Amino acid sequence: MSLTEIVQETEGESRRSRPGLARELWHDRMGRAGIIMAIVMLLIIGAGPVILPFNAQAFGTSAASILQGPSRADWLGTTELGQDVFREFLIGGRISLYVGISATIIAIVLGAGLGLISGYYGGWRDTVLMRFTDFFLVLPTLPLIIVLAALFGQSILVTSLVIGLTSWPQTARIIRSQVLSLRERPLVMRICSMGARDVRIMGKHILPNVAPLILANLVLVLSGSILAQAALAFLGLGDPVQVSWGTMLHNAFDSGAMSAGAWWYVLTPGAGIVALVLAFSLMGHALDRVLNPLRRGRP
Amino acid sequence: MSARYLLRKTATLALTLYLTVSANFLLFHVLPGSPVQLLARSGHYTAGARAQLVKLFGLNHPLVTQYVIYLNNMIHGNLGFSYVYRVPVTTVMGSAIGNTVLLVGTATLLTIVIGVWFGVVSATRANSMPDASITVISLGLWSMPDFFTGMILIFIAGVWTHVLPVSGIETPGLVADTWGRVLDVARHLVLPALTLVLVNAAEFSLITRNSMVDALTEDYVLTARAKGLSRRAIVWHHALRNALLPITTATALYVGMILGGAIQVETVFSWPGMGLLIYSSVEQRDYPALEGCFLLFAMAVILTNFVSDIVYQMLDARVRRN
Amino acid sequence: MSLLAIHELSVDYALGGGSLRAVDSVSLEVERGESVGVVGESGCGKTTLGLAIPLLLPDNATIPQGSIQLNGEELVGLSEEAMRRHRWTDVAFIFQGAMNALNPVQRVDRQIREAIRAHEPTTTKDEADDRVLSLLDLVGIAPSRARSYPHEFSGGMRQRAMIAMSLACQPSLLIADEPTTALDVISQAQILALLASLQRRESLSLLMISHDLAAIKRVCGRLLVMYAGIVVESGPTRLLLGHGIRDAQAAHPYTQALIRSHPDLQGERQLAEGLTGHPPDLSRPMVGCRFADRCPKAEDRCRMIAPVPVTLAPGHLASCHLLEAT
Repeated sequence: MSLTEIVQETEGESRRSRPGLARELWHDRMGRAGIIMAIVMLLIIGAGPVILPFNAQAFGTSAASILQGPSRADWLGTTELGQDVFREFLIGGRISLYVGISATIIAIVLGAGLGLISGYYGGWRDTVLMRFTDFFLVLPTLPLIIVLAALFGQSILVTSLVIGLTSWPQTARIIRSQVLSLRERPLVMRICSMGARDVRIMGKHILPNVAPLILANLVLVLSGSILAQAALAFLGLGDPVQVSWGTMLHNAFDSGAMSAGAWWYVLTPGAGIVALVLAFSLMGHALDRVLNPLRRGRP
Repeated sequence: MSARYLLRKTATLALTLYLTVSANFLLFHVLPGSPVQLLARSGHYTAGARAQLVKLFGLNHPLVTQYVIYLNNMIHGNLGFSYVYRVPVTTVMGSAIGNTVLLVGTATLLTIVIGVWFGVVSATRANSMPDASITVISLGLWSMPDFFTGMILIFIAGVWTHVLPVSGIETPGLVADTWGRVLDVARHLVLPALTLVLVNAAEFSLITRNSMVDALTEDYVLTARAKGLSRRAIVWHHALRNALLPITTATALYVGMILGGAIQVETVFSWPGMGLLIYSSVEQRDYPALEGCFLLFAMAVILTNFVSDIVYQMLDARVRRN
Repeated sequence: MSLLAIHELSVDYALGGGSLRAVDSVSLEVERGESVGVVGESGCGKTTLGLAIPLLLPDNATIPQGSIQLNGEELVGLSEEAMRRHRWTDVAFIFQGAMNALNPVQRVDRQIREAIRAHEPTTTKDEADDRVLSLLDLVGIAPSRARSYPHEFSGGMRQRAMIAMSLACQPSLLIADEPTTALDVISQAQILALLASLQRRESLSLLMISHDLAAIKRVCGRLLVMYAGIVVESGPTRLLLGHGIRDAQAAHPYTQALIRSHPDLQGERQLAEGLTGHPPDLSRPMVGCRFADRCPKAEDRCRMIAPVPVTLAPGHLASCHLLEAT
């Protein structure tokens, strides 16, 4: 057998991906609930604004239409500017989700990438990267995000970057541990000694085995990013033009909707955030249980 | 534990603090469009104030000198001058620190106690109804942003009913003796602390549960059972004692999150602490105050990590050997 | 009356959708001061049998039939609370000396003291400390090492500490599950010598579970051979195993195969013969002799009818069709 054939045959052994992961997730009650919730929320966020044709900037016509409770005209009441809360809710979801996803992509790419390099190469690269990561791990997240947003602006781009840049350390650590233990597996060492190139090993062997872990982490980072964006927006650091759910809550708070008892104004965007985050948290938790069967406790 | 380990940890602590201070300098004083330089050039300051600022920060000196001056200021506890209040930042932070410590301290203590308790209950009844319910409720609570939870509590306890105060730390204009004032503060503390506890105890119980479930599958638990020990002894003295290790590590990471939550909660409840200060500094673009607050928050978290490392050492004999 | 009398004991595990009978109608007796060995390959049910006695089985295990009598008292069906009183005081368990059998964050003396105080709460701390030190002395651990942590001990020392701990409440029966498996050869010999001498000195009854025939030969006067959940042969060690392969009188083909695969270090040179194949799947119903698939002497009737125990000599029983008097 030629060397190439030997390598290919050995590689075949290592290609144990987990095609059944999605199915396992579905079987888990929590995972199923999470998936369903996520689909529902995504439908609402994506299709909502399109299905209801309207002018989102429609302001109230008179002072009497400010902060009104739910009625037949406005299903979920009105804001302090007389806008229909339901309409604002439908639009606001997009920004929340968009920032969450962008930030997560940045965090995962950075975190997984650094974790991979650190764990695979070890040595001085590992030490330097880990010291770097440790330093960032220690900084408190929300204060840092607030400072960065205050200094560098409130556009969606900046917000995504800022949240992403503060979320990667955790991912890096988790991926690094996994890569470290994978690297010691006899199979990988065998392929290494056969002289396969680093990139090939990382791409074909380490990555597929780390992928489920990255996925579990990704979902959790997504939850966290959505919460972070909401907090930023609430504190007045969100994009003032493109209203998100967090911004709605900021406006509600600022305009005295609380003392006026306008619960519809607070509950609607808040429930949206909770539902979105909960969907992904459920999925993340279920993924953790699927990947760590022992965690379910003794049968 | 060995003195050498303690020394090494302290050295790392000093290094991290130094790096944080330097990073702060980089963020606030160096990067293009740095606010201090902007403010100095803008018309917001009077000529005299501007001159004072320039002198204080050495803004007409090269960057390196500015850095040294900055470090010198830090060591002497000079955190700059608040743009809004026109007094040193340290003065502005003064009482705010105490208020935040009161809020965060109370919340953290309750979080740990409640979280660990529910986590143990959940783990010892793994896969039963109580476990599933606690897990789902915990996940639900964790998914709620701190400020939203606060707002709901305000509706429940302050608007629809009026059982608890929803704003500030004291009732304005209250005339009472010391004990009366303490009670007043305590009443004001309930809702903000409850908000923090609700969200964070949930996460804590999840972490404890997982840690405990792992510990309960270990060999020494079977040994303890074989020894005829009571269930309480097995769960609390053997399993939890070992599960405490990952929980301690989690606690350190946790403090960062609780501080973040404190910012939101103090804003919602107008609790006059560091969190509210950060919020108002951002709102009013008071960069020096913002810088000082951030530095303090960062140092608090770094110190907490340091303490938690030491505690971990004390708890786990295996690590001590190294 | 025997110290331990197990009668027709079965243990089932619930797995996935079905169940698996790990121990099937096993009977055995241990007299006072006797040391009995249970030998068999992994998965034969010997560990389950051992764990069943102090009712330490996991939650998915049940005992559908059979009785376990200790000093005449029936243990099966006892509540956890009632069983706890018997644990360690009447029957103690020695686990494999793996790293985590002892609590890694507690000192060794504290763990032993804990056992004493749990069952004899009126003991003062000083009295307990004295007992701990004398127990450790019994197994050859110096008092200066008493306050060490488990990870500071070598494997052999950890096992000795476990043995010391097991004697803390003066049990009448000691169950040792693979006491030497995790150890190097020299430590193995030390532990076995220790067990043998302790058993004599303290008049203990010892039930030793192992896959290592040589260990059992060293320590046990009588042995039982288990295969796929049942006992296939039992009898005096000296008779069954002899001094070497030459004078071993084991009658069951499985026992003979086990003996052949354990060459004597000091005996004459012989070829070690392994046994091919795997034990049967216990979750499926079994017909005939369980060893038939791997037995070199299997006949047709072996695959169809399960053999019953035949007495070959006083105290020597085996279950094999080939041994039945025609």
